[in-house]
Amino acid sequence: MSASNPAVEALGVAVAARVPVLLWGAPGTGKTSAIRAMAGAMGLPCETVIASIREPSDFAGLPIVVGDEVRFAPPAWARRLAEAGQGLLFLDELSTAPPAVQAALLRVVLERAVGDLTLPDAVAVVAAANPPEQAADGWDLSAPLANRLCHLAWQTDPRSVADGLAAGWAAPVVPVLPDGWQAEEILSRGLVAAFLHVRPALACAPPSDAASAGRGWPSPRTWEMAARLMAASGASGTGDEARSALIRGAVGDGAGVEFLAWLVEMDLPDPEQVLADPASFRLPERGDRAYAALAAIAAAVAADPTPERWTAGWQVLGLAADAAPDVAAVAARVLARCRPDGVALPAEIHLFAPVLRDAGLLSS
Amino acid sequence: MTGERGLEGLAAARLWAATRFPYLATGVFGAQVIPEAGSGTVSVDESWRMRADPELTAAWTPAQLGSVLIHHVCHLLRTHGERAQGVGVRPDEARLWVRAADAEINDDLVPAGLDLPGRPVLPRDLRAEDGLLAEQYFDGLRRARQTESGREGGERIRSVPSESGETAGSWLDCGSGADGMPRPGQEPGGLPSWQADLLRRQVAQDVMAHAKQPGTVPAGLLRWAREVLAPKVNWRALLAAELRRAVAEVSGAVDYSYRRPSRRSAVTGPVVLPALRRPVPEVAVVCDTSGSMTDDLLAMVLAEVEGLLRALGLARQVRVLACDTAVAPAQRVSSARQVQLVGGGGTNMGAGIDAAAALRPRPAVTVVLTDGYTPWPAGPPKGMRVVVGLLGDHAPDAPPWARAVRVEP
Repeated sequence: MSASNPAVEALGVAVAARVPVLLWGAPGTGKTSAIRAMAGAMGLPCETVIASIREPSDFAGLPIVVGDEVRFAPPAWARRLAEAGQGLLFLDELSTAPPAVQAALLRVVLERAVGDLTLPDAVAVVAAANPPEQAADGWDLSAPLANRLCHLAWQTDPRSVADGLAAGWAAPVVPVLPDGWQAEEILSRGLVAAFLHVRPALACAPPSDAASAGRGWPSPRTWEMAARLMAASGASGTGDEARSALIRGAVGDGAGVEFLAWLVEMDLPDPEQVLADPASFRLPERGDRAYAALAAIAAAVAADPTPERWTAGWQVLGLAADAAPDVAAVAARVLARCRPDGVALPAEIHLFAPVLRDAGLLSS
Repeated sequence: MTGERGLEGLAAARLWAATRFPYLATGVFGAQVIPEAGSGTVSVDESWRMRADPELTAAWTPAQLGSVLIHHVCHLLRTHGERAQGVGVRPDEARLWVRAADAEINDDLVPAGLDLPGRPVLPRDLRAEDGLLAEQYFDGLRRARQTESGREGGERIRSVPSESGETAGSWLDCGSGADGMPRPGQEPGGLPSWQADLLRRQVAQDVMAHAKQPGTVPAGLLRWAREVLAPKVNWRALLAAELRRAVAEVSGAVDYSYRRPSRRSAVTGPVVLPALRRPVPEVAVVCDTSGSMTDDLLAMVLAEVEGLLRALGLARQVRVLACDTAVAPAQRVSSARQVQLVGGGGTNMGAGIDAAAALRPRPAVTVVLTDGYTPWPAGPPKGMRVVVGLLGDHAPDAPPWARAVRVEP
């Protein structure tokens, strides 16, 4: 169940990076048992607090008069975690907590402050919630609380349920991050910063309607969270799917997908660099990427068809013609249409004659 | 792009497809093609892998193979596999579903120049009109099959035979990418779902870019691209969230009260702590019954509102006001069916909101269901939250002080 389910993998990374995480899933799908099993496997104490039956003072501290001042006494679960120095704080039933309790949870989730007590940094905060449309008395999460958490969708596939019933539930594996993994965070922060330069509108976009307010949405805090999670998933060698779930969980689906698409595009070679040095061109492995790369190069030539650039473009296509004749031929048609005056036909053009003839495109 | 060399004529076919349908080129090149001898078909799975029988495709022209590629890419772009599960297609109905899905793809791509081998399924083969969704075609097929089997005890749906007697689309198994049924022996791998999503978005963007020159992209595909890039929000979910939020804000106005001491007083010695008390909001629903409203839609939305309030445990507090320019007396109802909608003249929702504010006990949340062709008060009513359901396709905007949800059936 652990490797096949990206949500489980993502949960492990978020816990390892100590980013507060929230699992959304229908009641009875094993969120609670997975989290408890995970704590057990890590050998960490796990304190389960059901938010819906608590009062705000359970999280903000109970006022006690001591001498002539009022202290906010933390409840016993917070004391136990503080004494252990590490552990897992599991906030169950978050979406059924009344709004006043959600407000009291703001500091607990992000700053780990319970009353006058601050929990150690090694304490991980994990929460679980039922989608409001499934819980009879559910509230939508308030936007400030939602913005402090990485939202993961908890899905169960029938096969892992069958396996779990027969052979016992496998605990999610929390990856051990190598020392100095935070160094990678500088890199991922740089990527996020470069993306926000291109799409400044996504730096902070509070949700406008009530339905999306309770999920992840882009803000400086969540982008920082996304950078941290990217670094952690890179350091732990997590699969791409879990990484994508973490990024979308932090900044929301819309902004997350745009960021991921931008990352994919970043992998493509820069057309101007390739035209300056055609021999350096490496054809991307996947067909659609190869098409995107060659189309971008052909478009760059068409935008400014000097003889040198035109010839360089044909050299690139010549390199690609063997591995992907069809992809290169599409770009070749673009180049053929923007031939500068007085330039001789390149030798590479003959590479494409057979495939163009087969496709019935040469006669025209 | 491994293993593609084995399939004769693939490069020419893809070139034909990418040239004839440039807006789908990214999708055509994004799919991985694997030759699989002896399968007798060209099929596709949900991880963007196509398996083609070289013996079958050898007989096709590049245009025909290219058309099959385009057709299969459209299955993937339109997520037919996933949608089949959404409709609850049973294994014995898989063929019916694929025919419906084929019709959804072919109705505008065949006129645009798709050259499929055999006879492609078109909506008229299913006795349906063009431009519908696969779900709608499938619904018709399923019903036809039920009546057919009831009458004749037979299993198969009779379809309109062509002149040659060949049944449309009967020659191909499109694979799990079209019907969502897992196939035995399908190894993991291929494109992970999140990358498939990105690819789908990229194709949608290509389609939108090509559509800037009018007449280049079929309308059905353009509709698909718009839906992918800006999904239509489900008004039911939106209305539910707005209503929950209005109720939560009212009942979230929790305040401390000394009427009942806190249960924590025991530990605080002489200090008397107040307890939290939570107000239970009263809800009023104002229905626009002017001549411009359609009763069916109003009844549907009213039932939805009632269901939502029942889920919040507030069904008993609801009072419904029918309103045109005058307001009928409030009816306290326990079911949407009991509401009597009287009226039918001009419209003034301001009168309805005033009447709701005058009710005792005073409602904390008022839901207004209207078509929007009404004057509104200049500001929000005091101490009352207003959620407006705007019914119909062309409803004008609600005032900025109200939370509005557009209900488009």
